[in-house]
Amino acid sequence: MPSLDLSRRQLLRVGAVSTAVSMSGWMGQLARAAEETKTKPKRACILLWMNGGPSTIDLWDLKPGHENGGPYKEIEAAPGLKIGEHLPKLAKHGKSLAVLRGMSTKEGDHARGTYLMRTGQLPGFAGIQYPSIGSLVSKELGDPKAELPNFVSVAPQRFFAQDAFGPGFLGPVHAPLIVADNQFQAQANNVDALLKVADLDRPKAISAETSGARIDLLREMQEEFAATRPGGIAKSHAAAYDRAVRLMQSESGKVFDLTEEKAETRDKYGRNLFGQGCLLARRLVEKGVPFVEVTLGNWDTHGNNFDQVKNLCGTLDGAWAALMDDLKDRGLLETTTIVWMGEFGRTPKINQGRGRDHYPNAWSTVIAGGGIKGGQAVGKTSKDGTTVEERLTPTVDFLATVCKACGIDFEKQNMSNVGRPIRIVDKGAEPVKEVLA
Amino acid sequence: MSVRATVAALLLCAASASGAEPAPMPKPATDAADALAAVIDKHLARDWEARGIVPAERTDDAEFARRAYLDIVGRAPKAAEAREFIDSTDPKKRAKLVDQLLTMPAHANHFAAVTRQQWLPQTMNNFQLAQFGTQFEQFLRTQYRDNVPVDKTVRRILTLKMTVNAQNPMFRFVQPDQSEPDGFNVSGFYSANEGKPESVGAAASRLFLGVKLECAQCHDHPFAPYTREQFWQFAAFFAELNPLTGPRPGFVGPVKPQSDRNTIGIMGTEKRVTATFFDGTQPDWAEDRGPRLELADWLLSPKNPYFAKNVANRMWAHFFGIGILDPVDEPGENNPESHPELLADIGRAFAASGYDNRFLIRALTRSKAYQLTSKMTHPGQADPRRFARMNLKGLSPAQLFDSLVSATGFREPAQIRQQAAMGFAQPGTPRGDFLNRFATNERATEANTTILQALMLMNGTFIGTQTDLQRSEVLAAIADVPGWDTKQRVTGLFLTAFARNPTPEELEKFTSYVDRGGATGDKKKALADVFWVLLNSPEFLFNH
Repeated sequence: MPSLDLSRRQLLRVGAVSTAVSMSGWMGQLARAAEETKTKPKRACILLWMNGGPSTIDLWDLKPGHENGGPYKEIEAAPGLKIGEHLPKLAKHGKSLAVLRGMSTKEGDHARGTYLMRTGQLPGFAGIQYPSIGSLVSKELGDPKAELPNFVSVAPQRFFAQDAFGPGFLGPVHAPLIVADNQFQAQANNVDALLKVADLDRPKAISAETSGARIDLLREMQEEFAATRPGGIAKSHAAAYDRAVRLMQSESGKVFDLTEEKAETRDKYGRNLFGQGCLLARRLVEKGVPFVEVTLGNWDTHGNNFDQVKNLCGTLDGAWAALMDDLKDRGLLETTTIVWMGEFGRTPKINQGRGRDHYPNAWSTVIAGGGIKGGQAVGKTSKDGTTVEERLTPTVDFLATVCKACGIDFEKQNMSNVGRPIRIVDKGAEPVKEVLA
Repeated sequence: MSVRATVAALLLCAASASGAEPAPMPKPATDAADALAAVIDKHLARDWEARGIVPAERTDDAEFARRAYLDIVGRAPKAAEAREFIDSTDPKKRAKLVDQLLTMPAHANHFAAVTRQQWLPQTMNNFQLAQFGTQFEQFLRTQYRDNVPVDKTVRRILTLKMTVNAQNPMFRFVQPDQSEPDGFNVSGFYSANEGKPESVGAAASRLFLGVKLECAQCHDHPFAPYTREQFWQFAAFFAELNPLTGPRPGFVGPVKPQSDRNTIGIMGTEKRVTATFFDGTQPDWAEDRGPRLELADWLLSPKNPYFAKNVANRMWAHFFGIGILDPVDEPGENNPESHPELLADIGRAFAASGYDNRFLIRALTRSKAYQLTSKMTHPGQADPRRFARMNLKGLSPAQLFDSLVSATGFREPAQIRQQAAMGFAQPGTPRGDFLNRFATNERATEANTTILQALMLMNGTFIGTQTDLQRSEVLAAIADVPGWDTKQRVTGLFLTAFARNPTPEELEKFTSYVDRGGATGDKKKALADVFWVLLNSPEFLFNH
């Protein structure tokens, strides 16, 4: 019954009931459970990853009037919550947004900061391979038997910190399915092609019959091999091929075909890689994928910061606001937590090239939607933006907050590659309770 | 004869055309390797008997050859190489094959790549550090090419004369002294560890002693008897990498062999510690001997039991997929050795050989355990740490791609091949794409396959081309050889993909599939189907 897409928990529940009811009753339970899956989706998380280190002082924690403030004005997003003027569409969803203004983290280098924010750990050489937050969350929220992968990474720019995007010691079962990998120069006209799963379509010269015949023969080879060489390697090979074939042959693979959406919808998100990536994220969450991340790059604004940030806001604002609209319309905003972050913030002091440099000491992140009490900013930076004065939030506190918002026990332990159990978020993490619903 | 037929002949038929003419054969292996193989056999036989384990059967020649090629030169054998070996009636052919493989340039390339991945894993996927890994890999290649004893290699690394430029607070540049031949490549080890005493010290302990100390950097080791202080005492042997305080801040060097550069502050504290060995002793500090030299002498001394066992165990893990101590760098009560006496004996023999890598490889590959099939015949063989059948191992991305090249006859441009030999793969090339998609840091015996990897192998351009009758090399050749019947063609495909002949059942099944024209009624296309199936099979994709 692969098409029913039941979670293991639901199957267990159905199984328990089935002992006491007739066969037809059992089928009824099954049908109802399937119906329930469709109407009551599980928790999900969408990470909007701002590659390069976004200038949060120009977006979420402005310093108007101060020489560090730059030219932007504030606009009101909710009573008591003001944000940058170049996010007007998103401001309409202010009631759902919680801004964490007390971020203070340890790494000001792209690779190391990326690793820290995405794994919660400092990069250590040759030691433990830590999983990215996407692998950790999707492992907790995902259904191992789902047709679609539990973790999809859209347009990641993994060049400098490949490890920070991987499953680490959780293993490739929890690796992201990546679309539009390392696309630094995406053009509007090839976005649709980029956002498809690589190699999902069989070569044009190969007919469906031929493909089917090949796969049948391959299955026999796999079974013979596994019969004489039992163990994880052969099992994993067969499982990956099964999932790949299901994705090729089933309807669920169509989720990557954005041409199914109306033109107006697509326009609303913006006809660019990030915008259409956010649309894909919404489609994936609708189909029950628990973790999707979408990357927007070019935030490394060492020079000409203000023009660049304004430009990037144009892309970010429309896409994110459309995502919020759509999730709300579909009743998914309550169960979907949206996280916005980069590897660090940028220096409050404006440099000679009208730019801002790397600054992990005091910056902001945003969490919205499911599990979050929005319409507020928690934490406070000094007048010049250089230090955190209230609710200093290190990386682990932030990640613990994300986990709590998604309904995950962040103290749970996973077995690591060095034979020691490791917590989802490291010891000592204190979630920012004020923003949790 | 057409070009394709010539290719087929070269690949499949003529033993004399194997294309892998070995360099002058080294002397037949000494008896010492046989003697060590016998010791291994004795220890394992005793263990199996005590546990009531029936070991698996001996491999057939084809399985052995494929395994030896993958383990020693990093790719599966080509059809002609496999056939030549299978057909040979020389009773010593297995030992001779290993001797021959050890002289191939690919052996040094493969071992350098594997060692870099183990020693400097941070350079595999960190763009900023990658060049240092490439440098160091070049150094390692010369070491394996010349069969330099591993203690000499380690001494070379530890005692490199160098200058450290610490003016850039973000990164310390390590420059070798002019007097050091190949010093630039050796210095990659230090640069890849960011020129920091604590990083270099942690790496030296992990790699050369087999003791992972990293956890003790910030707190006492939770499960092993190493304290934070011990970690910093060890790191202090590399304290000269830190900038001198005082009149010349930011610039260190040239580093003089002065014994007073042997203290370091414990990070986040006011405390300073002096370089001290794990056993609590200190060298007799002398003005003309630097701390790194003292460390090298202690580490590589015959009195130090850690080094020999550690390097021997790592070599064992390479060939058996799992170490006798595993993880290889976490000794302690929680991680007992599976065969302590065996490991002690191998370590002693390795040291006695003068750390001759090729001697150890000969001995391991001659052991009965290495020559067991991976097919399980008894439940007792299931535990991978009993070595009662050969463990299945995943292929590294380079092993996979090089095996694909062998199997398909893909002609990789010379420039790309050259880059690959330098430890670099250009993105956007077939090799670059495979290395990217199959990048992994899992242990070989726990290799997993991802959906994207499966899709790439099923539908990707490379396999698509190589299973296309118009554009492929080997497939087209096999499909076109004049005068062959279907059975010969199917056999050809098995030889090129699996390096073995098909079983009678397989031959029957696939011949009948091809003769009825597969799904489309076209015999040649059906042959392409067979090739596709073989290349996607676990038998091709894993080292068994």
